[in-house]
Amino acid sequence: MQSIINLLTRAVFMSTPLILGALGEVVSERSGMMVCAVEGIFLGGAWGGFAGAYLSGGNLLVGFLSAMIVGLLVALLYGFTTIYMGQHQIVMGTAVAILMTGFCTFFYRVIFGTPTSPLKVSTLKKLPLGPLAKIPVIGQIVFSQNIITYIAWILVPLISYFIFRTANGLTLRSCGENPEAVDVAGINVRRVRILAVGFAGILGGVAGAYYSLCNVGMYTSEIISGRGWIAFGICFLGNWNPVGVLIYGVIFGICDALGNYVKALGTSVLPNELFSALPYLLVIIMTALRRSFNVPAKLGTNYIKEE
Amino acid sequence: MERKQNAQPPVVEIDHVSKRFAKVLANHEVSITLHRGEVVALLGENGAGKSTIMNILYGIYHMTSGEIRVDGVKQNITTPRDAMALGISMIQQHFSLVGAHTVTENIILGNVRGKIDYAAEEKKVQELSDRYQFGVDAKAKVGDLPVGMQQKVEIMKALYRNTRILIMDEPTAVLMPQEIDTLMEFIRSFVAQGNSVFFITHKMREVMQVADRIVIMRNGEVSGTVSKAEVQMADLARLMIGHDLEVLSRSEHDEKKEAVRLKVDHVTVERKNELPLLKDLNFEIHAGEIMGVAGVSGNGQDSLCELLYGALTPTSGTITLDGKDITHLNVAQHIALGVGYCASDRHRYGMVADMSLSENMMLKSSYLHRWDKGGWISWKSVDRYTRDKISQYSIKAPDAGVTIGSLSGGNQQKAVVAREVDMGQNFVIFDQPTRGLDLGAINYVHKTILGEREAGKSILLVSTELSEVFTLSDRIAVICEGKFMGIFRNGELTTEQIGMLMAGVPIEELPERENNAEEGGAADGLKGGQT
Repeated sequence: MQSIINLLTRAVFMSTPLILGALGEVVSERSGMMVCAVEGIFLGGAWGGFAGAYLSGGNLLVGFLSAMIVGLLVALLYGFTTIYMGQHQIVMGTAVAILMTGFCTFFYRVIFGTPTSPLKVSTLKKLPLGPLAKIPVIGQIVFSQNIITYIAWILVPLISYFIFRTANGLTLRSCGENPEAVDVAGINVRRVRILAVGFAGILGGVAGAYYSLCNVGMYTSEIISGRGWIAFGICFLGNWNPVGVLIYGVIFGICDALGNYVKALGTSVLPNELFSALPYLLVIIMTALRRSFNVPAKLGTNYIKEE
Repeated sequence: MERKQNAQPPVVEIDHVSKRFAKVLANHEVSITLHRGEVVALLGENGAGKSTIMNILYGIYHMTSGEIRVDGVKQNITTPRDAMALGISMIQQHFSLVGAHTVTENIILGNVRGKIDYAAEEKKVQELSDRYQFGVDAKAKVGDLPVGMQQKVEIMKALYRNTRILIMDEPTAVLMPQEIDTLMEFIRSFVAQGNSVFFITHKMREVMQVADRIVIMRNGEVSGTVSKAEVQMADLARLMIGHDLEVLSRSEHDEKKEAVRLKVDHVTVERKNELPLLKDLNFEIHAGEIMGVAGVSGNGQDSLCELLYGALTPTSGTITLDGKDITHLNVAQHIALGVGYCASDRHRYGMVADMSLSENMMLKSSYLHRWDKGGWISWKSVDRYTRDKISQYSIKAPDAGVTIGSLSGGNQQKAVVAREVDMGQNFVIFDQPTRGLDLGAINYVHKTILGEREAGKSILLVSTELSEVFTLSDRIAVICEGKFMGIFRNGELTTEQIGMLMAGVPIEELPERENNAEEGGAADGLKGGQT
């Protein structure tokens, strides 16, 4: 029993960055912007977060703030080239993602050289929520997480409300469905889109830093290894809906935790590598099995207007 | 109706406005005024600059020089938001609606702030619809509504913002005849309340129906302003195109004397678990006959053309051409048998914009021996052939080597028509052959089609323009939901009756048909102007 609780606690822990990244992706894709630079944003966040925290003597707040800034900058690089310069979204997004792998490795070495033993910061502490944490089972799984996890969960209803119940949310969704309708309604489509992309960048930056500052307390160039793409997939699987993102985020969190759990156990009938590959396999299988998609009609299409 | 306007300035004064896009001068010194309670029609061919000048007024484009005054005050309108603040709304030709959202969401877009109280907004929108008797459900998803309803949603968007100057860009292009009448009634009652309307169109009949004054535009300039009372359709046509239109004549025709060329026998096309695309079609086309197919677009016209061109195989039934069974032949075999197909969307199915005129001319026949010289394409003969067509069809192109995409729409279509008429030695399908063309080009294409008829070819003409069907066809089939509602001799039914058949009213339920002769005559009278 305790091992299952441990597994689920770990699953919620590991699902947090996926949920954060996918929530940002939902907001940007609802505006028509397919931020496939998300892998690069995650990596930038992980790097920026670690660099900020390490250089400030282990201050995690500085770490997360610098992760947000790096994530935002990467997203804006992607946003300006696509929204304002009309470049193809997928090509540009992939290019930015590749750029970031080189960028992060290079500047890690510029700042820290090649240390013999990996540089470390202490990871973010758990924050049990007083009496709530004492509830059996749920208390440990849900209410004894770190603050980033709580923020991610609170963002789900907030973003849901924003998208579906507010005027700005309606504008956002309309940008993804028919930007021309937004334009003739007197709203600046490009501004809506760049704001949405910037928001995805900030959340993606935090998500990336979660791996370096909450999970392992250090930075390696393999730290993200495709988890940005999984967040990207979760946005699709969750049907561009924050609640859907939460559900699929937790499912992938379980996979992630299961891989680590089996590895830690050391004995298994199946090879460990299979469990490590589980999230990646799952995203392929589940995407292929999905039937009805609620894709924003103009997702991935730039809005170009003759002046 | 005479109005005294001297007391107050015009609602809108467009004063010597010019607009230059990168290379093209789209508007040159355009001056138009609009008064309170007035409908001003902007009449002109495609590319005459009607939409451009209105988009400047609505803040979508920015003028290069000139001045716009609203209520006598100079205004600098740089975004649609500025225009809306002045009470100006514009309904674009291609609706700016979000299909996935509800009617209410579409209407309040850009007009609400903060939290949306959906119940209250829906109630407000429903009241608006009820007040104007639009019959639009505020909660319906816009994508599920028919086009006529969608237009009402666009109008409601304008009404919701308390618009007093409404610009409508080709509002009737997508409507059925009955819907057009309803729209005209709305416009009249809207201006009767002291509002004003700009009505962009290239159809003269509508102008005569709804406008108080008519501004005719040609090549980006105003070529004349007339009041409806003092103008004839023939004058309008001359002002629009700069010269008189050639009057088309169609010799009378008795198809019974001619041999049957194309025969479609109880053909049905359906896919598993789906409604049939085409249902039990049964018709013949004789030599030298044009059969028009009238219908609201999306009622199986595309499938019908694909079927006759071999791109779609019938589930049951047979098709014969000159006695030969062609039911199961593929497209290439159809081409080889002399079937031509002028597709409705030439950009998608008719041409490759970035390839030269010559290459486009042999697009569908590159394997024929006529171009072949020892296994290589003989560009000399292709170019010679293309140059022949350029002069024969008076295509405005400097040379056979220019890309077809660089030509104007009318000249592109002429080239495609030239090719298809040549490919279709026996049977030619014209699907919306004049969509998006201007009067001169329409006239030319119509003349070509009638010429092919004289040459003894069988012709199927699909069009959503009723006037086109009436002008050219010997017989008219009305298609609705993949089914023929009936086939009639041209002149047998009135426009209204055809319109009702198009809407799916069975022939037995049509109202009295006694006024045929008179109404038919009226329709004939319009033809000269409409072509």
